[in-house]
Amino acid sequence: MTESGLTPWSVVRDGLRLIGRFIRAHPGSFAIGVAGAAMFAGSIIASSLVIGWITDNVIISTLEEGAEPDLLYLAAGVILAVAVFKAMGIVLRRTAAGWLQGKTRQDVRNQLLAHQLRLKMSWFNRQAIGDLLAVADSDVQQGTGVLGPLPYASGVSALLVGTIVMVFLIDPWLGLGAVIGLALVIAIDVHGSWITYGMWEEVQRWRGRVSSVAHESFDGALTVKALGREGYVSERFGTASNELRDRIIDVGSTWTKYQVIIKSLPQILIVVLLVVGSVRIDAGAMSAGDLVTVSYLLSLLAFPIQLIGFVLWDLAGSLAGWQRVQDVFDAEDFVVYGEETARSRAGAAPVEGSGVAFAYEEEPVLADLELEIAAGTTLAVVGPTGSGKSTLCLLLARLWDPDTGSIRLEDRDVRTFGRSELPKEIAYVSQESFLFDATVRGNVTLEENFSDDDVWHALRLAGATEFVDRLSDGLDTQLGERGTTLSGGQRQRLALARALVRKPRLLILDDATSAVDPSVEAGILRSLKSAELPSTIMVVAYRPSSIRLADEVLYVDQKRVLGHGTHQDLLESQPGYARLVQAYEEEARRMEREAS
Amino acid sequence: MSERYTTGALVRRALVESPALRQGLRYTLILAMVGQAVTVVSPIVLQMIIDEEILDPAGLSLPGVVQKAAVALAALIIGVVVGRISLLRLVRSSSTGLSDLRTKTFDHIMRQSVLHVQEERRGNLVSRVTSDISTLQEFMEWGGVGLIVGLSQVLLAMTVMLVYEWRLALIALGFVAFYMLMMRWFQRILAKNYDEVRREVGRSLGVLSEATSAIPVVRAYGTEENTRERVADALERRFRIEYVTNRFANTLFSTAEVFAGLLTAVLIVVGVLLGIEAGMTAGTLVAFLFLANLLIEPLQIVVETLDFAQAAASGLRRVIAVLDGEIEIEEPEDPQPLRPGGLSARFEHVGYSYPTGPPVLQDVTLDVPVGARVAVVGETGSGKTTFAKLLVRLLDPGEGRIFIGGVHAPKIRLAELRRRVSFVPQEGFLFDDTIANNVRYGQPDASDAEIWTAFHELGLGDWVERLPNRLDTRVGERGSSLSAGERQLVALVRAWICSPDLLVLDEATSAVDPALDVALRRAIDRLTEGRTSVTIAHRLSTAEGADEVLVFDHGRLVERGSHRELLAKGGTYTGLYADWAAGTKAV
Repeated sequence: MTESGLTPWSVVRDGLRLIGRFIRAHPGSFAIGVAGAAMFAGSIIASSLVIGWITDNVIISTLEEGAEPDLLYLAAGVILAVAVFKAMGIVLRRTAAGWLQGKTRQDVRNQLLAHQLRLKMSWFNRQAIGDLLAVADSDVQQGTGVLGPLPYASGVSALLVGTIVMVFLIDPWLGLGAVIGLALVIAIDVHGSWITYGMWEEVQRWRGRVSSVAHESFDGALTVKALGREGYVSERFGTASNELRDRIIDVGSTWTKYQVIIKSLPQILIVVLLVVGSVRIDAGAMSAGDLVTVSYLLSLLAFPIQLIGFVLWDLAGSLAGWQRVQDVFDAEDFVVYGEETARSRAGAAPVEGSGVAFAYEEEPVLADLELEIAAGTTLAVVGPTGSGKSTLCLLLARLWDPDTGSIRLEDRDVRTFGRSELPKEIAYVSQESFLFDATVRGNVTLEENFSDDDVWHALRLAGATEFVDRLSDGLDTQLGERGTTLSGGQRQRLALARALVRKPRLLILDDATSAVDPSVEAGILRSLKSAELPSTIMVVAYRPSSIRLADEVLYVDQKRVLGHGTHQDLLESQPGYARLVQAYEEEARRMEREAS
Repeated sequence: MSERYTTGALVRRALVESPALRQGLRYTLILAMVGQAVTVVSPIVLQMIIDEEILDPAGLSLPGVVQKAAVALAALIIGVVVGRISLLRLVRSSSTGLSDLRTKTFDHIMRQSVLHVQEERRGNLVSRVTSDISTLQEFMEWGGVGLIVGLSQVLLAMTVMLVYEWRLALIALGFVAFYMLMMRWFQRILAKNYDEVRREVGRSLGVLSEATSAIPVVRAYGTEENTRERVADALERRFRIEYVTNRFANTLFSTAEVFAGLLTAVLIVVGVLLGIEAGMTAGTLVAFLFLANLLIEPLQIVVETLDFAQAAASGLRRVIAVLDGEIEIEEPEDPQPLRPGGLSARFEHVGYSYPTGPPVLQDVTLDVPVGARVAVVGETGSGKTTFAKLLVRLLDPGEGRIFIGGVHAPKIRLAELRRRVSFVPQEGFLFDDTIANNVRYGQPDASDAEIWTAFHELGLGDWVERLPNRLDTRVGERGSSLSAGERQLVALVRAWICSPDLLVLDEATSAVDPALDVALRRAIDRLTEGRTSVTIAHRLSTAEGADEVLVFDHGRLVERGSHRELLAKGGTYTGLYADWAAGTKAV
C-alpha cells in the first residue's frame, strides 16, 4: 500500500505519464482502440434506450393496451443492428489494444537488449542473469499490462458519464440515486484495489523467492544429491511455498470481501431505483419504459464497473513492473568506445600494459602490473589458484577496463577502439565455453563469412575434427541449448575453433583446454605451435607441457608480475614458480623415493 | 507419457495427488451457486413491480413496492454473505492444494536420479513448480469458478424462464445449446492457435535468454549486431502470431454480442405474438429480456476463460508428467545397516547405458578393499564418471550388482549411504550463501570452529584468511565471485567435513594449481588413513601414489594394478602416462 511510497495520486500521475509514453510511440492504434471503445459504450446506451422504447411502444401497448404490433419487426431489427455495431466496436477495441500492447512489448524488449549490450561488464557482474531475464520477460509483460484494458477503461468511463447524463434526463431524482449509487460502487472498488495491491506485491515477492529456490536447487542437483540433502532443499522449498500460499490466502480473503460487494451493489442499486422509479411513475414524471431503460442500463453496467478497480490495480502493477525495467534503462555505465578501426589480419600484434591495477570490489586483484609481449610471442601466464590470471585475460580482451593504467595493442590503447573493432584483432577463449543453440558451423563462425574450408581448418587446429566428423550432420549438426549434447572437452574445442577461425592478432586462452584429455591437449598445442599462426598468443596454463611450448612465461602472484622470462630463467630465479610447475614432478620423485 | 490422459483424468489425478484441492469442494460449489442465485432477483422483482404495481389499473401502492424491494434486498444481502464464504473457501483450498502439489512436484524432481535433472532443461523444471502451478491457481480462482458459477447462473435463469413461460424458455434454451456447440468448435480452432503462440513465446524467450547469458561472448567477439537481429526476428515472429491469434479470438468473442442481440430480438417478436393469444404480461416479457442477458454473460466468460483453461490444462499435463516420471533410485523396503568404519566396494558384472545411447559401461567387475586408495584413469568418454556415479548410487546399474561395505547398494538407506559416502563432482557447485553455510550443506550442525578445522586440515586455512570476510564471505550466484579452482576447494571441504568412510572424488581438483593440488592430495591421503578413497584422476600424479589404479577404456575396465605394475605392462596405462609425463616435465 504505502510501503513502496505509493499513493493513489502518485499512481495516477506516474501511471498517466507511463501510458503517455507508450501511446506517443503508437498513437494510431490507441486512437482506433478508443474509437472502438466509444462504439461499445454508445451501443450499450443505445440498446437500453431501445429496450425502454420497445417496452412502452411495443410490449405494453400491445400486451396491456391491445394495440396492433406494427413496430414489432422494426424493433427487432434495431436491436440486432445495435448488437452488430457493439460487436464491431469490441473487435476494434480489443484488436487495437492487443496490437498496441504487443508492439510495445516487442519495442521495449529490443531496446532492453540493445541497452544491455552497451553496458560494462562491471554492471553485469552485479546482476544475476535470472533477474535480467525476469526483467525482459515478466517485468516487461507486467509493465505494459495496463495497455490491454486501457481502451476498455476509457470506454467504461464514457459509459458511466453517458449513463448518469441519461438517467438525469429521464428523471432528476432517479439520476441523483444513480450518481450516489455508482459513486459508492467506484469508491469501494478503488479502495479495495488499493488495499489489495500492497498485498499482491507481497505475493509477487514470494513468487520470486519460490522460483529462485527452485532454480538453485535444480542447478545444484548433483551436489544436493551427492550430499544427500534432498530433504533439506525440499524443506526450504516447502517453507517458501507455504509462505506464498499464506500470502495468497491473505490477499484472497480481503479481495473476495470487496469482490462480492462490488458485484452485488449494482443489483441493489437497481432494486432501490425500482422503488424510486415506481414513485415517480406514479407521480406521472416518467414512463414504465423509462424505468426499464434505467434498470437495463444498470444491469449491463454491472460487469464493466467491476473492472474499474482493476485499472488502478493494473496501473500500480504496471508501475512496479516498469520500475524494474526502468532501472535497467537508468544504468548508464556504458562501455566508451573510441574511433580506432581494426587492422584485421595484419599479423601478430605486440601487447603492452603499464601501471595496471584492478579490483572487482575493494580487494585489489591486480596492482601496478607491468607487461610487455613482443609481436608473435607465445606467452604462458602461470600463477597459483586465485592469483588474478583470468582477470588479466579479461582486461586484455577489454571485457573489463583497468582501474588505473592502460593496455595497449600495437601502440593503441584498447579503449580507443571503435565498437566491435577490437574483436577483429583479439580473440578470447575462457574456461567456461559458451555454445549457442545453433549448428556447429554457426558456433564457429558466429554467422560471419567464413568458408567451410576455414571452419574445418580451425576445427583441425582445435583438435575437433574427429568428433565433429562423427556428428550426424557434420558442420550442420544442431547443438541444443548451451551445447548440452557435447562433453566439456568437446565444447572447449569448439570454442577454441571459434577463436582460431578469426586468425586474431592476439589470441588469449584462459585455461581454455582444461576439460580436454592431456593427450588430446598435447596434440592441440603441438598443432598450434606448428601452424605458425599470425598471432601473439597468451595462454593461462598449469601444465608444464603448455608452458614449454611458450616462448616466454609470465609468473603472476600476489597481485603483480613476479617474473617474466623464459621458463628456464624463471625456474632458476623464482623458487615459487619452480615449486608450482614442478609440483607433480617433485611428487613423482618423492613417491619414487618412498617406494624404494 | 501423460498424452494418454484426457483432461478429466488429469483433473482426477491432480485431486488424488493433492487431496486439499477437493476438501469441502462440494459445499464450496453449493454455496457459490446459492450466492449466484441472487442475480435472478432483480428481473423477478422488476416483473412483479411492473405487472402488480405500475400496470395495476388500481394504481400503485407504495407499501407494496417497498415490501417487494425489501424482500429482494434481503435476498441480495444473503447472496453477498454466502458468496463471500464460498469464495474464501475456494481461495483457501486451492492455495493449500496447489502449494501441496508444488512441493510434491519439487520433491519428486529432487528424488529423481541426477540423470533426469541434468538432461531436462533446468529452466523447464523450474517452470513446473512456478508458472505451471500459477496458471492452475489463476484458472481455479478466476476461470474455473467463473465457469461453474456462470453455468449455474445459466441453469437458474433457465429455470426462472421455464416458470414464467415455457415456450419462450425453450427458444432461449435452443439458442444456448446452439451457441455452446459453436463454442466447442471455436475452442478447437483456438487451441491450435494458442499452441502456436506458446511455441513462439517459448522460442522468443529462449533466444532472449541465450542472448542475455551470452553477453560476455558477444562482447568478446563483437557480434552485437548479429545478436540483436536474432532477438528482433524472434520477437517479430512472436508479435505477428500473437496479433493474428488475438484478432481471430476477438472476432469469435464478439459473436456472443450478435447472438445476444438475436436472442433478444426473437424473444420480443415471439413474446409479443404469443402474448396476444396466451395472455402473457408485459412484466414477464421485460423480465425475459433481463434474464436473456444473464444467459449471455456466462457464455462470454466461457470464451474469455478459454485461454486460461487451455493454459491450465497444459500446465497440469506437464506437472502430472513430472509426477509420472519414475523415481529410479528408491529407498529400500527392508534396509540393511552398514558396519561402522571404512567401507569397501564391489562391482559384479556392472553395465550401464543412458536411455538413448550405446553402453557407457560394460561388464565391470572389481573389488575395492577397505582403506584402499584407488585411482581411476581413462580418456574422456571412457566411462569413469559414470563409474563414480554408480559407486555412490546417483545412478543404478542396468546390469549387474554393486555392494558397498558388503551390502547390496539398493538395500542401504539413502540417508545412511549419503552420510557415509561422500562424492565431490567436478563442477564445484556453490549456493548463493556464505562459505561457512556452503560447507554446512555437507554437515548441517557443523560449528564455525569445526569448519575452520576442516579448512586447516586440508591446508586451506591461509586461503580462507585472505577472503574479505573469511568464512562469512558470500560466494555469489553459483559461487560466481570465486574462481573455478576456489569453488572446488569449498566443495572439497564440504565433502570432507562429513568425515566419510568412502570418499569419491571426480576430478574434484581439476582447476586447482599443481602445487595446491599436490598438497591437497597429500593431506587427503594422510587423513583418510584406514578409510577408502576413490579418485577419478585428471592428473596422473594421483595414480602414482594410489594403492591401485583402475584403467577404463571405452566403457570397460581394461587394466588394474599398481602404477608400477601397469607401467611395466606396456598397455593403455603406459600410453596415458607417457602423455602425462611428457606434459609435466618442467625441463
